[in-house]
Amino acid sequence: MTTYLPIRSADSPLGQDAPTTDAVGASLAFDDPRHLLAHRWLVEETYVLDHQDYDAWLGLLAEDIHYYMPIRVTTALGTGYDTAKRMAHFDEDKYSLSRRVARFQTEHAWTEDPPSRIRHHLSNVRTFATANDDELVVESAVLLFRSRGDVNEASLISAGRTDLLRRAGALGGGWLLARRHIAVDESVLRTQNLAIFL
Amino acid sequence: MRDADVVLANVRRGMLPAHIYNDTEVFEAERERLFSRSWMFVAHESEIPQVGDYVVRRVMDNSFIVSRDQSGDVHAMFNMCLHRGMQVCRAEQGNASHFRCPYHGWSYRNDGRIVGLPFHQEAYGGEAGFARKGQRLVPAPSLDSINGLIFVSMDPDAPPLREFLGDFAFYLDYYTRQSPSGVEVLGPQRWRVKANWKIGAENFAGDMYHTPQTHTSVVEIGLFREPKAEKRKDGCTYWAGRGGGTTYKLPPGSLEERLQYVGYPDEMIKKMLEQWSQDQLDVIGRDGFMISAASVFPNLSLVHNWPKVADSDDVLPFISLRQWQPISADETEVLSWFVVDKEAPEEFKKLSYKAYLMCFGSSGMFEQDDVENWVSLTNTAAGTMARRLLLNGRMGMLQDDTPVVEPLAPEEFAGPGVARVGYGEYNQRALLAEWADHLEQEPPATATTVVGMSGQAECS
Ligand code: FES
Ligand SMILES: [Fe+2]
Repeated sequence: MTTYLPIRSADSPLGQDAPTTDAVGASLAFDDPRHLLAHRWLVEETYVLDHQDYDAWLGLLAEDIHYYMPIRVTTALGTGYDTAKRMAHFDEDKYSLSRRVARFQTEHAWTEDPPSRIRHHLSNVRTFATANDDELVVESAVLLFRSRGDVNEASLISAGRTDLLRRAGALGGGWLLARRHIAVDESVLRTQNLAIFL
Repeated sequence: MRDADVVLANVRRGMLPAHIYNDTEVFEAERERLFSRSWMFVAHESEIPQVGDYVVRRVMDNSFIVSRDQSGDVHAMFNMCLHRGMQVCRAEQGNASHFRCPYHGWSYRNDGRIVGLPFHQEAYGGEAGFARKGQRLVPAPSLDSINGLIFVSMDPDAPPLREFLGDFAFYLDYYTRQSPSGVEVLGPQRWRVKANWKIGAENFAGDMYHTPQTHTSVVEIGLFREPKAEKRKDGCTYWAGRGGGTTYKLPPGSLEERLQYVGYPDEMIKKMLEQWSQDQLDVIGRDGFMISAASVFPNLSLVHNWPKVADSDDVLPFISLRQWQPISADETEVLSWFVVDKEAPEEFKKLSYKAYLMCFGSSGMFEQDDVENWVSLTNTAAGTMARRLLLNGRMGMLQDDTPVVEPLAPEEFAGPGVARVGYGEYNQRALLAEWADHLEQEPPATATTVVGMSGQAECS
């Protein structure tokens, strides 16, 4: 018995061409160099996101990325699904993410001017090998704190993430995010919008 | 509500007491007089396509199970067990032939009829103690639908939905009847914003004026080619019955060319031509207006836009339906659905979904900037200074009430209601006038359901 229902790109009409690499076996030991590498990658990414350095963030994304955050719905135990059918908060490819980033870089993205103060609290990182040496599956928990203005109540978004990291190869040995599945822990979000990334 | 007469009189002449956007007394009056009477959207039939499908939706603080029973009929039932009031269904959606109350195990069919009452004989002495026959979860006082959109009203004497909507039904077809099969409605995305519910409803009803300013960024990044300031004011706003909306003026061309211009494939255009009345087609083909945002009183809005979804010059239309669900004077839950014609090609459905996500909803790039404004407005409306301020909501009228522009003549605009080209706050005023009419009326009479006592009326 488990309440864990993995998110699958295949459930989205926009995820049909997403990378399909899966984790193989148990999580890697915490002193495994692949885990250390993946963990460091995620920590570095949180700084990039907290600093809203979105050009740098786009540079960390593979061309074929599927960035997917389905809507969570409350269903009875055993129903077999806990995400809405064919609807998501984010269901992005590199083009749509690049438009979001481009918008923040205009002088007229009012929702982030003044900018939010955001902090991604990252934890529970575990890394899995895959069938090939150039890809790793990394799971993590993230708690996003977001404060706007002086006295507005801050908002929190809690989520689990399952990422596919891919060795960039010729690009100097860096790793790129090729797939991100975000399991947000609320059905009804308590934040004014998703002008942030998880 | 304090000084109600003065507040309503001011609202009716287009002068807006700023505190109405964040005032607990006003909110209480809305709860008692407006949301207790008006028709309100709860779900679309395509959300519960199969026998046994259900979704749970709220009307203010009231939870309703909206279900499709074994014979295919749709019900909206108050989600409270008839025994001691437990919430019968705690999921948001699913499929069930029965609902069993977790507290003492009473169970109900998906049409609301009670079927299981443990120890009926031993505990109650059977029918003589608790008259089970005919007992059912309390149905919504009124239920009606149009184009698959299911509405409920808390008023048992509500007029038929079509009568309530009036001529707005004409415009509803553009969004929800593009083919004989109608639409499928996906979602909703739900999120809570610290903004008063009226602001979104007013904005979608008629605020073409904000587009070039609020949404500058989405034009700059090439997502949307339309909302250049000079283009937006060429469109018209219209108000008809209990709803109204905005349009864009399309470039010259035939009906087909204009539908192609916003990105509809020929296959869908063919169906629209068969589906819509000559007047409905004339608004686009003869008059050159394409519907965009709209609101139905009190808190349902629609939007139709046509952004670029890939790195090319092609645009693709999407439709969204959204409800501004009031939580309190300063908080609204937004429920935003993606709407697409059932008969649309799969590729269109896919890209239209993408267009929706990029523009509207919880992560939408248009929506992000809208909500920022509305939250700030609500914040500022909370204090005593806001009580001393009558905002000017009179755009489109001179001080002596002479209109700045005349309404379009029937040969310029084939749709019903009153339409005017250019910026104006006619629709926001129409929405708020309706709001004032409701707030002026006494709450509707209601009936009390007495459980399990045959032949007894309520104690008075
Ligand atoms: S409250 Fe539902 S069975 Fe008792
Ligand atoms: Fe807007």
